[in-house]
Amino acid sequence: MLRLLLGFALALVLVGPVAEARTLDEILADGTVRVGVNPNLPPRALFNDQNEIDGFEPDVARAIAEKLGVELELIQVGSPDRIPFVAAGRVDFVMGAMSRKAGRALVIDYTVPLHSENYGIVTTEESGIEGLADLNSPDVTLVQVRGTTAIPFIRSQMPEANLLLLDNYTDRDRALAQGRADASFDGIDSMAFRLSVFPDRQWKIIPSPEWGVTYSGLGVQKGNYTLKDWLNVALYELHADGTIEELWEKWFLAPMATQVPFTPYF
Amino acid sequence: MAYTLQFGQVTPYLWYMAGGAWIALQLAGIAFLFGWAIGLVFAAVSEYGRGPLRWAVRGYVIFILNTPLLVQIFFIYFALPDVGILLGSYEAVAIGMALNASAYLTEIQRAGFRSLRRQELDAAETIGFSRVQTIRYVVLPHIVKVLFPPLSNQYIILTMTTSIAAIFGVEELTGRAYNINAETFRSLEIFSIAALYYVVLTFVASTVLYWIGHYFFRVQGKVF
Repeated sequence: MLRLLLGFALALVLVGPVAEARTLDEILADGTVRVGVNPNLPPRALFNDQNEIDGFEPDVARAIAEKLGVELELIQVGSPDRIPFVAAGRVDFVMGAMSRKAGRALVIDYTVPLHSENYGIVTTEESGIEGLADLNSPDVTLVQVRGTTAIPFIRSQMPEANLLLLDNYTDRDRALAQGRADASFDGIDSMAFRLSVFPDRQWKIIPSPEWGVTYSGLGVQKGNYTLKDWLNVALYELHADGTIEELWEKWFLAPMATQVPFTPYF
Repeated sequence: MAYTLQFGQVTPYLWYMAGGAWIALQLAGIAFLFGWAIGLVFAAVSEYGRGPLRWAVRGYVIFILNTPLLVQIFFIYFALPDVGILLGSYEAVAIGMALNASAYLTEIQRAGFRSLRRQELDAAETIGFSRVQTIRYVVLPHIVKVLFPPLSNQYIILTMTTSIAAIFGVEELTGRAYNINAETFRSLEIFSIAALYYVVLTFVASTVLYWIGHYFFRVQGKVF
């Protein structure tokens, strides 16, 4: 929360006075919608072979811009500054794994969910691991990234397991592929994509919905109801005709672990 | 915005961190001992060897001195498994640090050999010293006196370099500090204490090395 506020304050200093968000009419009149995506979280967004921003979020943003009948302008945001960007009106809405959290909702508004965010076990077929209960054993080594959210849970619920703590997710993936550890308990949404660089292992990804599933929506400036209401309708249509799931599977190489239940009431 | 230091929240972890300091001490000791032994042989080859063997050693030293330790350990930890050599975190870091230290210690000890003057050996021969006596009374006292300070420095540097091990899953002092930080968010307090542990480690090492140097090898020097 402190980091969030500090980031917000910093962004205010950088961008000057808070710009008013553009209403739906202003976006239509301008002919361009500005969308923030985070290319540091592949395959949500990434740089493709032509060095252009591509990925799940840009594809969804394209579909939304098409429905709106305007041009799309993609703007790079990072994890610390994605909320300041939308709060300061630099982008019309922001994507980038915007999981809904009460603290964040104090600063920005959320649309209905775009996708779910899931935790689970990443392991290989040969490990014989079937669920969380199999992890609490001295024969199991879990590899995690130092300082991430699952570690206190592992220490308290799986005290028997050995723990190997590495510096980042790429090192974690490689350690798993090289057999330094049997499994990892962490976010699983991008795992099929990440592990596709190690095709010779028989990967097994086991969702653990009992740990809790969060939902990510699009973030819009607080109080920008004209845009938010329209986006909710657009997202409903994109869920209902299967576009979102199709784009998810195209980029994440696996179905969404928890389907977003969509309803005509919102 | 005033930040209130809360050391009380991290005091329960002092022993846990002391355990990390002990691992740091071990790693530095292992890296130094092996690095020193390899460096001694390589320094002798560099100075007195000939042909391909000498060139191989020079190539090794130049390569190691001009690549970062982090990259060297990364190679040992993550690239070697692809050719079938899977080393544990501790072993990979210890070997990487020892190999890295060996290159520096080769150069330091080579300088020691170079500092010997022809006249000293001639003088020993003139007064009828045997080969063993020459080494015992002329060569060793001279080399040790020259080498002791830079070797001590290298040991101190190695102690602090052990913090790199945290990246490769070794739960030494820095790694443990990160772990506590992730649970308590008391970064200032934790890293101050970690820094204090490193100061204690290096101060104790400096003092011990000073006394050894002073009383056994008559090295002139001060801890401060």
